[in-house]
Amino acid sequence: MKSALLDGIVLGLQYGLLGVGLTLIYGLTGVLNLAHGQIAVLGAVVVSLLMGTGLPAVPAILAGLAVSGAVLLALDLSVMRVVYRQEGETRILLGLLLMLGVGFMIDGFLAWRYPIEQLGLRIGGDPISILGVRMSTGSLLASAITIVTGLVLVAFFRLTSLGRGVRSVIQDEMGARLCGVNPAFVRTFVFGLSGVLAGLVAVTRSMTGPIGANNTISFTVLALIVAVVGGLGSVSGAFLAGVLLGVVDRLSSFYIGTYITTIILLVCAALTIVAKPSGLLGRPST
Amino acid sequence: MREPVVVSGAILSVAGLSAGYVGEDVIYDIGFEVDEGEAVTIIGSNGAGKSTLFRAIMSMLTPSAGTVRFDGSDITGLATHRIARLGLAYVPAERHLFPQMSVTENLLLGAFPDRPDPAIQDSVFDVFPRLAERKTQDAGTLSGGEQQMLAVGRALMSKPSLLLLDEPTTGLAPLLAAEAYKALARLRDDGLTLVVAEQQVPLALELASRGYVIDHGRFGLSGPSEELAGNPEVQRAYLGVA
Repeated sequence: MKSALLDGIVLGLQYGLLGVGLTLIYGLTGVLNLAHGQIAVLGAVVVSLLMGTGLPAVPAILAGLAVSGAVLLALDLSVMRVVYRQEGETRILLGLLLMLGVGFMIDGFLAWRYPIEQLGLRIGGDPISILGVRMSTGSLLASAITIVTGLVLVAFFRLTSLGRGVRSVIQDEMGARLCGVNPAFVRTFVFGLSGVLAGLVAVTRSMTGPIGANNTISFTVLALIVAVVGGLGSVSGAFLAGVLLGVVDRLSSFYIGTYITTIILLVCAALTIVAKPSGLLGRPST
Repeated sequence: MREPVVVSGAILSVAGLSAGYVGEDVIYDIGFEVDEGEAVTIIGSNGAGKSTLFRAIMSMLTPSAGTVRFDGSDITGLATHRIARLGLAYVPAERHLFPQMSVTENLLLGAFPDRPDPAIQDSVFDVFPRLAERKTQDAGTLSGGEQQMLAVGRALMSKPSLLLLDEPTTGLAPLLAAEAYKALARLRDDGLTLVVAEQQVPLALELASRGYVIDHGRFGLSGPSEELAGNPEVQRAYLGVA
């Protein structure tokens, strides 16, 4: 029970990091990035390939994150321009279809060129005992990176001028323009940031198990569930939802069985939509 | 008292401006100028085109004809955020505050992208002490009057050289409306250039030194405030004098 709980928190932090990237883009633009998991895994595959050439882990990881970020950045600067010109439902539908297409393309590319390429970062060192539960150094390092990333993000959105600028566009785009904020720049920035965060979550998850082409769709689905439960557009909500869902995930697979966990997570998302459509924290406070 | 400013041309000059929505103009051939340090009012009833005029000046909609010059350069069609950064601030009637951000954060965004100037923030709190009391409160939880103060305060944070205000008394009780105008008079006396669009004509004419009457999208009467206040047509239409 205790170990399932701790495992759930470790996993949940990863879920939170997965949801943040998706929630930011949706909150800002109304585009539901259904290629989020694919972009994440693409970054991990790049890291794996580079490390295969003998490049040390850290520069390989930075390059992988850059690739994930660059893919979304390029999309924002090209085809997304058409989406931004639309309003309301048309924008949401068009964005969704477009990102679905991008996801298929990345899936196809990975299946064609790198079907068995997997990133598995083995973190050395003996397991460390926390509250009497032996935790692997890999999951502890992944959790530490994720917590630091979460704190940096929250501080960025609260304390910096650009961070406040992003939130202003999420809350009132016209008000933001009148304050001198350029929404187009903010969108490009957030797309790049979201891509880097996607790449990062694939890297941290590879510290506890190998990540490859077969993880793409489950990543996207999890990101979607976390974003819905956390409230679309909310950074702190995504992390809170991630941890809760991680615990639910581990407990249900501990007491019921692994086969049922995804269903239970989907039910959590559905219940959130019915009971509290704006998410756990109830507002896009970021 | 300030030294009289040596005027080297108008700070805002609008010429032949026509604009509207979905291919149909709402304002036609508008022309006017505002000098530095002046307070000017544009009076007209609901739907006369006051908001459309301001939106066209701020490039929130694309004019079908005409030019807008600000501080010596042509800003017609320039992106709204660029116009704002040049020092032309606009407070729309709908205010467009950031409802889930605190009063302080709203004010800080007013200075975007520059580092907020604490002295300016102090002077905003000096004009609107209520905002200082509500610093940490979310903008969405403020009363209508406080939201109006915050909208003006946020605009002031950018150290604008010209402030456009669209119906600053929208939704305010008469007492609060008078109070809002007291604050605007103070800003005017401090040397801020103001253009106020208003249906509350007595208040506006008291604030401004001169005004224009807009009706069905066209400028008609214009002149010094006392003259407009004494005009029988204005009295009948806007001042409730039979």
